[in-house]
Amino acid sequence: MDTKKIRNFSIIAHIDHGKSTIADRLIEYTGTLSKREMENQVLDNMDLERERGITIKAQTVRIDYKGKDGEMYCLNLIDTPGHVDFTYEVSRSLAACEGALLIVDAAQGVEAQTLANVYMALEHDLEIIPVINKIDLPSADPDRVKQEIEDVIGLDASEAILASAKTGQGIEEILDAIVERIPAPSGEADKPLSALIFDSYFDSYKGAIAHIRIMDGVLKKGMGLKMMATGKVFDATEIGCFRPQTTELQEMGPGSVGYLAGSLKQVRDVRVGDTVTLAEGGVTEPLPGYRGVTPMVYCGLYPVDSADYDNLKDALEKLQLNDAALVFEPETSIALGFGYRCGFLGLLHMDVIQERLEREYNLKLITTAPSVIYHVFKTDGEMVTVDNPSDLPDPTTIDHIEEPFVKATVIVPKDFVGAVMEISQNKRGEFKSMDYLDVNRVMVIYHIPLSEIIYDYFDKLKSSTRGYASLDYELADYQPAKLVKLDILMNGEAVDALSTIVHVDNAASRGRSLAAKLKTIIPQQMFEIPIQAAIGNKIIARENVRALRKDVLAKCYGGDISRKRKLLEKQKEGKKRMKAVGRVEVPQEAFMAILNID
Amino acid sequence: MTTDFGVYIHIPFCKQKCFYCDFPSFAGREKYIDEYLNSLHHEMELGAERIAEKGKLTPHTIYIGGGTPSHLNLSQMQMLFEAIRANMQVKDVAEFTMEVNPCTIDEEKLHLMKANGITRVSIGVQSFDDGCLQRIGRIHKSSMAIEKVRLAQKAGFDNISIDLMYGLPGQTLDMLKKSLDKAMELGIQHISVYGLQLEEGTVLAKQQEMGRLELPDDEAVEKMYDYLVEYLPAHGFSRYEISNYAMDGYYSRHNTLYWQDVPYLGFGSGAHSYWRGNRYENPVDICEYIKATAEGKFLHIVEEAVSEKAHMEEFCFLGLRMTKGINKEKFMEKFNRDIYEVFGNAIKEMTAKGLLQENDGVLSLTPMGMKYGNMVFGAFIIE
Repeated sequence: MDTKKIRNFSIIAHIDHGKSTIADRLIEYTGTLSKREMENQVLDNMDLERERGITIKAQTVRIDYKGKDGEMYCLNLIDTPGHVDFTYEVSRSLAACEGALLIVDAAQGVEAQTLANVYMALEHDLEIIPVINKIDLPSADPDRVKQEIEDVIGLDASEAILASAKTGQGIEEILDAIVERIPAPSGEADKPLSALIFDSYFDSYKGAIAHIRIMDGVLKKGMGLKMMATGKVFDATEIGCFRPQTTELQEMGPGSVGYLAGSLKQVRDVRVGDTVTLAEGGVTEPLPGYRGVTPMVYCGLYPVDSADYDNLKDALEKLQLNDAALVFEPETSIALGFGYRCGFLGLLHMDVIQERLEREYNLKLITTAPSVIYHVFKTDGEMVTVDNPSDLPDPTTIDHIEEPFVKATVIVPKDFVGAVMEISQNKRGEFKSMDYLDVNRVMVIYHIPLSEIIYDYFDKLKSSTRGYASLDYELADYQPAKLVKLDILMNGEAVDALSTIVHVDNAASRGRSLAAKLKTIIPQQMFEIPIQAAIGNKIIARENVRALRKDVLAKCYGGDISRKRKLLEKQKEGKKRMKAVGRVEVPQEAFMAILNID
Repeated sequence: MTTDFGVYIHIPFCKQKCFYCDFPSFAGREKYIDEYLNSLHHEMELGAERIAEKGKLTPHTIYIGGGTPSHLNLSQMQMLFEAIRANMQVKDVAEFTMEVNPCTIDEEKLHLMKANGITRVSIGVQSFDDGCLQRIGRIHKSSMAIEKVRLAQKAGFDNISIDLMYGLPGQTLDMLKKSLDKAMELGIQHISVYGLQLEEGTVLAKQQEMGRLELPDDEAVEKMYDYLVEYLPAHGFSRYEISNYAMDGYYSRHNTLYWQDVPYLGFGSGAHSYWRGNRYENPVDICEYIKATAEGKFLHIVEEAVSEKAHMEEFCFLGLRMTKGINKEKFMEKFNRDIYEVFGNAIKEMTAKGLLQENDGVLSLTPMGMKYGNMVFGAFIIE
């Protein structure tokens, strides 16, 4: 493939602004897939992704297109995950491209996440083609959105393409713009091989597979290769491109995008951002930008049925094969028994993993409230990291604790700025800046503890701005904070899995709300259940779940049996989601209750 | 010769629908009664043709329920009995019950019932407190209930049951005590006592939604329960099922069939049947039922084939409703499996909680288990 005929691009868009549908139309228009093969949102091929309308795992597809000049071009669409949890993966995908489509909803305008990704694309010197999508909507206001793109992002929007993935308008124009405006890759074939890994996945037959972009040199099937970060040496047993299904090739020149398989047993061997080169005589300097992935959020995962412990381990191992960001290690809770402490990139990542474990591996799980990683400085000068509240050292041995802060960027219509500020202050945020993006929309930046973001910051933001707020955040630093451990006692006994670390100023109100919330979650049982919140030895709140006085179906005659059986089955179903903590049956959601209190 | 099955006949007509009732019964449909009785006749004919070995069905027990069977007028009642006698061997049944409402039953109807072989009368009393009766939409007064019990006795009935309820709107423990005392003065043989349950779509449920219902709180209802389960046995009425109490020998044979896995045929709208391992349900709508029967349909809506799993579960959660519990050997006989092999964990857990006990190969609810029966029944549902 002639490098001059290659165009590598990705699509930047906010959730719901139409990235996947535009991609679908491009694939459909070029006949890359026949109508019959075409499924809506080809790229989001995980069930979860379709349901949530988001991209979790990036996909890549090669599109062949005959340009206006009559030449055939090879367009590689490198899809990017659209969530803040996966910012690093996005940056690597962008590093594999020369250009990007910036898709903005014609009615909604630029959002916080779009902005962050556009800035990232500009850092990588990508040619950006603005596309204003959904112009068929009655509420579409392309002129305002164009103005916004110019004012907010500073891009020339005069050549922005007006498109509608729904009606197909603008699709051809987009394809031509990709050919004409995005530069061809600049790699040289006679240099030693260097290829960037921008994604990976696990195939049960071929092992770990890298998505790669050849920067320089030529990759041939059978070559002896080396991963520069891990030092792993292997042979290229199979190489090829995505159409979107894998299609084998014998060699790939500079600028090419495709996959590489080589008897690599786990995705851990194939690190996103790493450089592939020749095992011997390769490049000496890796491509810039590699970093290892580190979890930001931890939680405990416990099987409801302790007999499922090994199944949970197997399932986590299988998911880990395809997800280098997932980490886990065994953990024991007095309340919940044996389980795993798991680390995630963020809340969405956590949610997705949990849901996949339940759905694909049929496990009933109890998830404990997520925790950030605290730096605990002890009086003896030692620093320990704590990602599980019950591991917090004895308060008398603690000098001080630091917690992670993020830079949170919020974009809202100006009428809601007050609400955003109020919520952010309440969440211990420190105001940094405020800028008008246009006459109506404002970008507010706060320095705020990550733990608050994890709680309910975004939900609160959404509900008090009628859904208009968009949020993006990145880890900023660690700062000291006055933090204490809040314990919950049920029936007089501390339940370790319900402990949380909270700011001392919020402790009393959180304790009260949590106890009140738990009262609504714990079902009545044959005896009264006191629920107490405590800090150290001091009880700060108490609620009672009253005893169930009586629980029996009064009537059960011939006509009632089927109906009553259904009731009993439902009752049993509910019980399956309960964990016996001492004598108390505790439903799954109790362990996440802290996230949903006011 | 009687074989082992019961017959239930449903009369879906009521003068007024009670506020707690979610049964398939209707007020204001009197114009369909004659046609309905014809359909019942036809359905019983179909049953006799398809099931009976010697022309007529030979049930062990017959139960005419509702709705309000006593809402039929004399000639309609006559029609009903003729239909039954034409298709069933009545003289050999062990028990032939008819439900009546104090307001609509009278001397003539009672005599007709007696003459047609009814052996047991079940009277819907619910309470002897007029305020309570009014608040649940009953159309009779307590004095009328007492009068009608006496009338039934005068007509020669010596097996009379009454229904009572507790946990009613505005009801106090004291009111319940008085109702129980009154019941004891009547010389009846059987009492069913039901805790009020708010069912979806009932008048009471709507009142509750609108915040206009004053129910006794959980603790008060518990006190009523505790009182009556002590009181009735102390007055000669043994508790043989969660909500049923009888003098010696007067337990309801028909209702016992439901709890002991015996087949039954249900005739009429909304009636259920349990026949050869399947459960069936007739259309609840009266006109739909009439139409289906005219088309010759009998046992026509298969609700479910009872699987082996469901069969074992039902054997247990129905059997455990009875004081005498379930027999391990009988389980083995029926399913060719040891009950512990199937329900070992449930038995262990419920025994540990003090809800279940085992004596001489019989598993039964403890007094505590009767109170928290749903926990035990739920444990006998296999995942």
